[in-house]
Amino acid sequence: MSRPHPGYYPGFRTLEQRRYWDAHTREVILDRVNNVPPIRFFSEDEARLMEAVCRHILPQDDRDKENWIPILPWIDSRMHENSGDGYRYEEMPPDREAYRLGLQAIEQIAQHLHGRGFLEIGEKAQDELLATLHDGKPPAAHDIWARMPIERFWRLLVQDCVSAYYSHPTAWDEIGFGGPAYPRAYMRLERGDPEPWEVEERRYEWSAPEDSVSDRYTPIGGQSEHHGGPQGGTH
Amino acid sequence: MQTIETPMRRFNPDEEVDYAIVGVGAGGGVLLQRLARAGFHVVGFDAGPFWDTERDWVSDEKGSHQLYWNDERITTGKHPLALGENNSGKGVGGGTVHWASFTPRFHPSDFRVYSQDGVGADWPISYWDLKPYYELIERELPVAGPAYYPWGDPHGYPYGPHPMGGVGDALIRGCTKLGIGVCAGGPVGILSASRADRPHCIYRGFCIQGCKVGAKASTLVTHVPDALAKGAEIRDRSMVSRVNLGNNRRVNGVSYFDRDGREHFQKAKAVVVAGYAIETPRLLLNSGLANSSGTVGRYLMVQAGNVVLGRFDQPVRMYKAPPAHALTEEFYETDPKRGFARGFAIQTVGPLPIAFAKQMMAAKGAWGWGMRRIMMDYNHWAAFGLLGEILPSADNRVEIATDQKDHWGIPVAKVTFNLYDNDQKLIAFGKRKTIDVMWAAGAEEVVQESRYAHLVGAARMGRNPETSVVDSFGRTHDVANLFVCDGSVMPTQGSANPGLTIMAIAARTADYLIEQGDAIFSSDRRDMRPPKFRRDLSPPDTWGHGMPAL
Repeated sequence: MSRPHPGYYPGFRTLEQRRYWDAHTREVILDRVNNVPPIRFFSEDEARLMEAVCRHILPQDDRDKENWIPILPWIDSRMHENSGDGYRYEEMPPDREAYRLGLQAIEQIAQHLHGRGFLEIGEKAQDELLATLHDGKPPAAHDIWARMPIERFWRLLVQDCVSAYYSHPTAWDEIGFGGPAYPRAYMRLERGDPEPWEVEERRYEWSAPEDSVSDRYTPIGGQSEHHGGPQGGTH
Repeated sequence: MQTIETPMRRFNPDEEVDYAIVGVGAGGGVLLQRLARAGFHVVGFDAGPFWDTERDWVSDEKGSHQLYWNDERITTGKHPLALGENNSGKGVGGGTVHWASFTPRFHPSDFRVYSQDGVGADWPISYWDLKPYYELIERELPVAGPAYYPWGDPHGYPYGPHPMGGVGDALIRGCTKLGIGVCAGGPVGILSASRADRPHCIYRGFCIQGCKVGAKASTLVTHVPDALAKGAEIRDRSMVSRVNLGNNRRVNGVSYFDRDGREHFQKAKAVVVAGYAIETPRLLLNSGLANSSGTVGRYLMVQAGNVVLGRFDQPVRMYKAPPAHALTEEFYETDPKRGFARGFAIQTVGPLPIAFAKQMMAAKGAWGWGMRRIMMDYNHWAAFGLLGEILPSADNRVEIATDQKDHWGIPVAKVTFNLYDNDQKLIAFGKRKTIDVMWAAGAEEVVQESRYAHLVGAARMGRNPETSVVDSFGRTHDVANLFVCDGSVMPTQGSANPGLTIMAIAARTADYLIEQGDAIFSSDRRDMRPPKFRRDLSPPDTWGHGMPAL
């Protein structure tokens, strides 16, 4: 069952605060919301496949469809512009090639397991297939994974998806993040207190679909310790 | 809001300037300002833009991607480093634009690691050589923090400590419960009260996205305005491709590509490379300079930066307050009982949603519905950062990738990094301790992500020209009028954030260059006497403010 806006902060809408944001921030965020870029990098077939993959990396079935946060267009846009993050692991191909290879591999695994393409195998099987990538135990496409470490590809994919999803004001509403705060500022710094314009948390029994494979936490690649993962600036 | 007037002096490329400085970040920014104030003709080059903070910056994670060095580099080794947003700025202000602005000093022991512990290296200078410059820069930024900071050489800070956010509260609670000393509200280069045209901090939490407020110190707002007022030029969006060797083993200027991709040559009597620990060795290696020792690019260091995340029953809302606002250096020094040399700090960090989601991917393997679930609890999590000293190793290095060039046609950097035995022991212990503090703070779940912070070394200073690149004033051993002035000169790194120390070294180098005067431009003789300490080179109205008594 979906809601217009899932999350524990009922009625909280960061966009309603936009008159308190500085002009450039407002412009950048409204542009993100209102001007979703067209698909330019992925072919039609690739885009359909990627769209389905993104739906599993960040599912939104608990949200009314008209409020869904676009993910694929932002990955496509990054690939189209060929904009990078400032480094490439030596054993990885460039990101554009990585996505093309990754999609081919996903298709090959679907064929290997089910004799059909990824789009034809049903939601649960799709989830399970992607879980094999997460676990680092793909049952097929070994020639591709020999050219591209599966764990690096998985991290690339998940990182790009979360970057798109959690940059959207709808996601901020869902998680109770206050969003831009210049020039108005925050006043209540301690004890997790909300600003007068924020909303107190009201939890409810939120649950993933019963047959979901991804509502659990297991280490990527099935190991317990990792190095060299994504390292967003924090210091 | 502070506005920076950009009309500035323009030198003609044919005009031989006194100094060409490559990179206007922490080191280059401070040096540029002082040399201009002393009357030298000086041009600072930066590969990135001269930011208009109001029009270019946003209160938004994704929208701040342009602040980082996003051009490709190759990363490899057993523990390959993430670069880009993790540790590399691009644009005037450099890394100080996106640093969290923790500004602890190094400890006296940091300068004598080899003598004391038999590992790493000694610096050719001591803490006491840098101390007056620490005090100077702490006033110039200025640094907010406690009146009594107990670790290393105890001292106080000129601006009062910041109020605590939820993460600082957790760190204080956890440390106090375990009997670990902890400091709150600084030291950070963030204004706790307004100064001149810079407003006080508004606690919006977007420090590492560039401080639009102007409260967080960056050389863009602390030193560059004075540099321009005193006649320095900054040529932004100008990528220096080569430092040119002229006659008599002296350099005579730099080649660079302007914003339109046109190549130019700027004549200079002396050149300072201040491109930080990857671009500096890359430029020196691509220029074939200063590497008779073979150490250019070697002894690259990062600090262990494991992020420990704890979930609390009550909301924390860690997006409020600066990410940097409380820390402990109780474990900084070597303790023989631990079985490894050197130590670590524990600091607050405050990841915003995208960074937190990536951490949850790494720490818990979250994706799909699990990612959605954990992110719905974002407001319940707090994050601490381990900051651990990793020792220098010759094999941790920057090289030139021979088969790959950037869009200017300049060969890119290849960065190799491995952890060694002492590093791994230190990280295991420090991680455990940080996790203990998070539990003691009252967390009901604690996870961690392994990562690294900062970048220093790769053109280290030393007395011996056979094992180091520059002398204690940043002058390359090989070329008398070529200098390095950034974090790459550090022989070791302590477990303090490097920014303040980079600036203090730059201020000392400035005193030296100014005192040497024209001798730098004409003579190969090296005067190794320390320069007279000058207080009159600070930007206006930053020296002589009240300091807490110890």
